[in-house]
Amino acid sequence: MKYSLTFWALIICMSACKQGEKNVEAGHPKQVGDLFFNPKTDKAGYQPCHADLVYQYYNFSNGLQFKGEKPAIDRYFKENFKATEAEHEDGYITIRFIVNCEGKACWFRVEEMDLDYQPKHFSKAISNQLLELTKELEGWEIAEYEEEKYDYYQYLSFGILNGQLTEILP
Amino acid sequence: MKYYLSLLFSGFSLLLSAQPNCNVYKEDPGCYEACLEAEKAIRHPQGSKESQEHFDNSIELCPSFDYSYQQKAVPYLKRGQFIEWKRLIDKAVELNPTGHLGNRAWCRYQFLRDYNGAIEDIEKLETMASYDIGTGTNGDYHLIITKALCYKALGQKEKAIQIMIDHLEKDDYEAMSYDYLHLGVLYLEMNEPTKAISAFLKQIEINDYLADTYYYLGQAHSILGEESQSQEYFQKALSFYASGRHMMDPYTHHSDRVFKNDIEVKIGKAAIDGIQKK
Repeated sequence: MKYSLTFWALIICMSACKQGEKNVEAGHPKQVGDLFFNPKTDKAGYQPCHADLVYQYYNFSNGLQFKGEKPAIDRYFKENFKATEAEHEDGYITIRFIVNCEGKACWFRVEEMDLDYQPKHFSKAISNQLLELTKELEGWEIAEYEEEKYDYYQYLSFGILNGQLTEILP
Repeated sequence: MKYYLSLLFSGFSLLLSAQPNCNVYKEDPGCYEACLEAEKAIRHPQGSKESQEHFDNSIELCPSFDYSYQQKAVPYLKRGQFIEWKRLIDKAVELNPTGHLGNRAWCRYQFLRDYNGAIEDIEKLETMASYDIGTGTNGDYHLIITKALCYKALGQKEKAIQIMIDHLEKDDYEAMSYDYLHLGVLYLEMNEPTKAISAFLKQIEINDYLADTYYYLGQAHSILGEESQSQEYFQKALSFYASGRHMMDPYTHHSDRVFKNDIEVKIGKAAIDGIQKK
């Protein structure tokens, strides 16, 4: 046979893995924005505590919850982000992730858009830097309700103008 | 326990979805059915597969049913998926500009600090509407005040002050929860502490629930060299903050919002200055 059984087994396996990455039927996920473990990008050690029940950061009515509040996040990125003067590097980089029941952030996903809200690729010097800084950021509060701890989705969105960081949202 | 938590949060989301009035579509069977599908959609938790699928059905039944585009967009906005949010809200605006420009404007301002985009939407709405264009989506600000806040953020402070004053002086307008606080901050930024104090005191008359107001009063008095009064206000700000009385939004942050560390720095700085003077 031109292609060995091993080859075809690999092809079938890769297709199955890609489906596993989506983990849902075609169409809407169980919840808008649901994330699924990606073995290529997600650190095996950090997981949601209950992957089938991840809330949203706003479900607890306290807004963004971080030790030192929003100023601490602003200070962290101001001190650590190295801007690059770059024309046409304008738009937003949004990083979505899960804060698990131990306050650890995991499963990071990046969405980049220009000022017209169209998909865009920023230079890696900007996008990778923001992603790594977000991954290293520590201080997320644990979401608690009636003495139980929950996982929640959170995002940080970075406004960029000429390669400079102008906004950190929410 | 988790089941009841889910019910609690889904109920909260449902309350925030304004119900469409399907009776207005009875002459158009397709759009009437679309409206009924939208009603089914909002009975499910916002952002759920079931909810989004009902909105999809609604749009298929009546592609001009703008309500479903706008409602389908909301969870994407709240969860940071702005490309998809914009795609859907743009469709709603295209189908019903006067119905959705205000919403898009406020969301651009509040969630993305897209000041130019928000101004563009509000000013377009002003040209199209002969009536009061109303408030932003969460009811915190009139859209004219939102426009002023955008100009403020873009550095056009004099313009922002004029817009705010003109609107606040209208006979048929009653100041909302934070209007005078923002006006006061604008005066502070223009180095007019006396006018700022007047605005903050007016803010307290309307809404005495904000640590933020007392913080800025402290700032104003400090500029005037009235350190003792300044410190009293900072201490009051800290006390209010400790009891949860401050600007708060469950999704984002208000502009000019003050945080605990901001107040503590002012109090700490004064203590250090006091020690150094001794």
